[in-house]
Amino acid sequence: MSTDKVGPCIEVSGISKVYRAGTAAAVEAVSTVSFTVPQGQFVAILGPSGCGKSTLLMMVGGLEAVSSGLIIVDGKPMIGPRTSIGVMFQDPTLLPWKSALDNVLFPVRVLKRSIEDHREAANNLLQQVGLNGFEHKRPHELSGGMRQRVAICRTLVYDPDVLLMDEPFSALDAISRDEMNELLLDLWQQFTKTALFVTHSIREAVLLADRVLVMTRRPATIVEDLTVPFARPRSMALGENREFNEICRHLRERIEDGDGRSRAPRPGTATWRREAPQ
Amino acid sequence: MALLDTISGADKAVPNGRILRLVLLPVGFAAATIALWQILCQTLQVRPILLPPPSAVWTVLRDNYAILLNETLPTLRESVLGFIVASVLGVAIAVALTFSRWVREALYPGIVMFQLIPKIALAPLFIVWLGVGETTSVVVAVFIAFFPIVVSTATGLVSAKPEVLQLCKSLTASEGQVFRMVRFPYALPYIFAGMKVGVTMVMIGVVVGEFITAQHGLGYIIMFAAGAGETATVLAAIVLLCVIGLGLYGIIGLAELLVLRWFGGEAPISGVI
Amino acid sequence: MSLEIPVDAPPGSVGAIGRSVRRVRPIVLPIATLTAVLLLWQLAAVRLHIPTVLLPTPSEIAREMWHALPLLIDQAVPTALDTLLAFAAAAVLGIGLAIVISYSRLLRDTLYPNLVFFQLVPKVALAPLFVIWLGYGSPARVAFAAFISFFPVVISAAVGFAGTDPAVLRLCRSLTASEWRSFLLVRFPFALPAIFSGFKVAMTMAVVGVIIGEFISSQAGLGHYILRAGSRLDTADVFAALGALSVLGLALYGAVALAELSVRRVYGRR
Repeated sequence: MSTDKVGPCIEVSGISKVYRAGTAAAVEAVSTVSFTVPQGQFVAILGPSGCGKSTLLMMVGGLEAVSSGLIIVDGKPMIGPRTSIGVMFQDPTLLPWKSALDNVLFPVRVLKRSIEDHREAANNLLQQVGLNGFEHKRPHELSGGMRQRVAICRTLVYDPDVLLMDEPFSALDAISRDEMNELLLDLWQQFTKTALFVTHSIREAVLLADRVLVMTRRPATIVEDLTVPFARPRSMALGENREFNEICRHLRERIEDGDGRSRAPRPGTATWRREAPQ
Repeated sequence: MALLDTISGADKAVPNGRILRLVLLPVGFAAATIALWQILCQTLQVRPILLPPPSAVWTVLRDNYAILLNETLPTLRESVLGFIVASVLGVAIAVALTFSRWVREALYPGIVMFQLIPKIALAPLFIVWLGVGETTSVVVAVFIAFFPIVVSTATGLVSAKPEVLQLCKSLTASEGQVFRMVRFPYALPYIFAGMKVGVTMVMIGVVVGEFITAQHGLGYIIMFAAGAGETATVLAAIVLLCVIGLGLYGIIGLAELLVLRWFGGEAPISGVI
Repeated sequence: MSLEIPVDAPPGSVGAIGRSVRRVRPIVLPIATLTAVLLLWQLAAVRLHIPTVLLPTPSEIAREMWHALPLLIDQAVPTALDTLLAFAAAAVLGIGLAIVISYSRLLRDTLYPNLVFFQLVPKVALAPLFVIWLGYGSPARVAFAAFISFFPVVISAAVGFAGTDPAVLRLCRSLTASEWRSFLLVRFPFALPAIFSGFKVAMTMAVVGVIIGEFISSQAGLGHYILRAGSRLDTADVFAALGALSVLGLALYGAVALAELSVRRVYGRR
């Protein structure tokens, strides 16, 4: 599919985003970010809230204008949204008056493609995410996790080459979130697309991604580009792997450093005494 | 919280005893009031010009139904026509407002302010312009009723969550597609809520129009009979007006229920005001 | 989000000029539209020789208002007084009944559906009845206006009282607070937004009720003035009086809104 294309899929060069709010000083939401993503790689963008990762994602998707710099996707510069890029948000925002199946087929209708041609694919997708039998249920009859699964199918049904996911599982409870992570790992085995996945969960980033980009708040830029050494297919059992947890610890320290917070005291020294000099 | 349940009818699996209570009590109370009214009138020898007993009202309805029906028709016509025009106009204006930011910012504050002025006071002006025919009552009704419809339709048209609109944008959907497939369906519950207020306003406009043009219709009957001291006739005409008013409101309410069922999920707004 | 630049910012809207235009637009645009409409109206009426009976020019209306100002103010007073009295009665009785309904399940199940039913009925039709009962004059108008503004108050207050967060009420019970104290300290403040929205509707309805009352049975007041001017085909006078009435209506509504603001400041935003 995308393996016969040469060159990087996404190239981000010197991107920044500046907001001016009236007379207040300009706010740099994203400050000179550059990275490239080869075809078929799953990249996680990890950082605390307010570090501009969602804004960065929106710019890659052509949904937000860049203040400076250049984004090239698939060899063409981004000047607006493209139908070869699929987006997923934290809020699945399914249309409440449509069934799950009709929601999945929504992009097909917008793109004026043949519904009949895609119906079988939509049904298959719903089956793969475990919603067999729920095709005709309405969103209000589905749980949060189920709705997000419908949203995944909706994003995949029109076969975009690039997937942009903005904290899609952040609103779910911990158990549902683990289920969704597992689901995404399984889906990834089949639909190897280029993906950017924004999250503030360190474990989620390391579990799902081939590569983790760490962003900080001030300045809002990338401070680390870490390649995750685990082969695919992966399972949730990876979470108990020692190397996995080492990587997570390292990333956590990196984030805290970037935030200017002092590191937690090492084991063995007194804890919770902020005033005491080390 | 039970009060809200009663209001919103959220009790789905309700034991029969509960339904009985919810229906019997208010209906029983109303029936008891009417019975009390009848008894008091007869025992206290209340002057019929002040408060005729229900039986007198019934007599008027029964004996004069031809004449009353004759006057009911213009009122009904005016109400239905007024409501249809107000709804179409209201929705159209709201759509226009949504699509042009300049138009919106220019007109919306004016519309909101206009909403606060007692528009019924403009009725005599409409009489100066349009005379004393049925048209005047309809125009007054439309004028009063279309504002709430505009406001609630406009609110509904922007109620779609930004993520859906972002999704549409990422699919490079045209403005027309976004309107047809997303904004308008999201607005439907709001439109119907606005129409419920609108239909109440239409009735006010029609009745007051008939009061002051005094040519035809149930409003005219009320004024005429009141002037002649025929209070039982006044009440009879009021009863017929209530039938029209509740009938129209009921139709809209039913339509709204169907729309909400089609819409699924939580209704964005509920309430009677 | 305090982000000012929309995603699809048209060219020229960014930068210092764009910023000041954006800030000032919501105020300037309505005023500019109003001025444009008035000018157009004046020009059209003069150029097309539209008869004054049909549409007086803004200048004629202004002149009329100036001449009739003392009379208009004079007539505004009874209208205003009637409205305030009606509103006060509706507010007191409405909240009183809402409190009673909140505490008696029986009364609630019996009365609330009837109240809702009455709200939907064209109560305007009952105006002449009030005249029959209370004669020509202020009491009939006040009573009628109070009658129609009473319902929005009861209904919204009842919904407000019922809508208190049960978690907070449970807290009160666990602190063994009496019903009255938990009402005063919890239910009532939480219901204030709903009560005030009911008040706003009620004030508007009170004005409408008084005007309608004056239409059908009065010798004084702005409603009567308008009706009389209309029957004289003195359109300029009608507009002048409408202007005065609008000011009155807005002032009364504004009073409620102002009261709501100050209460909000005491109790904090919900």
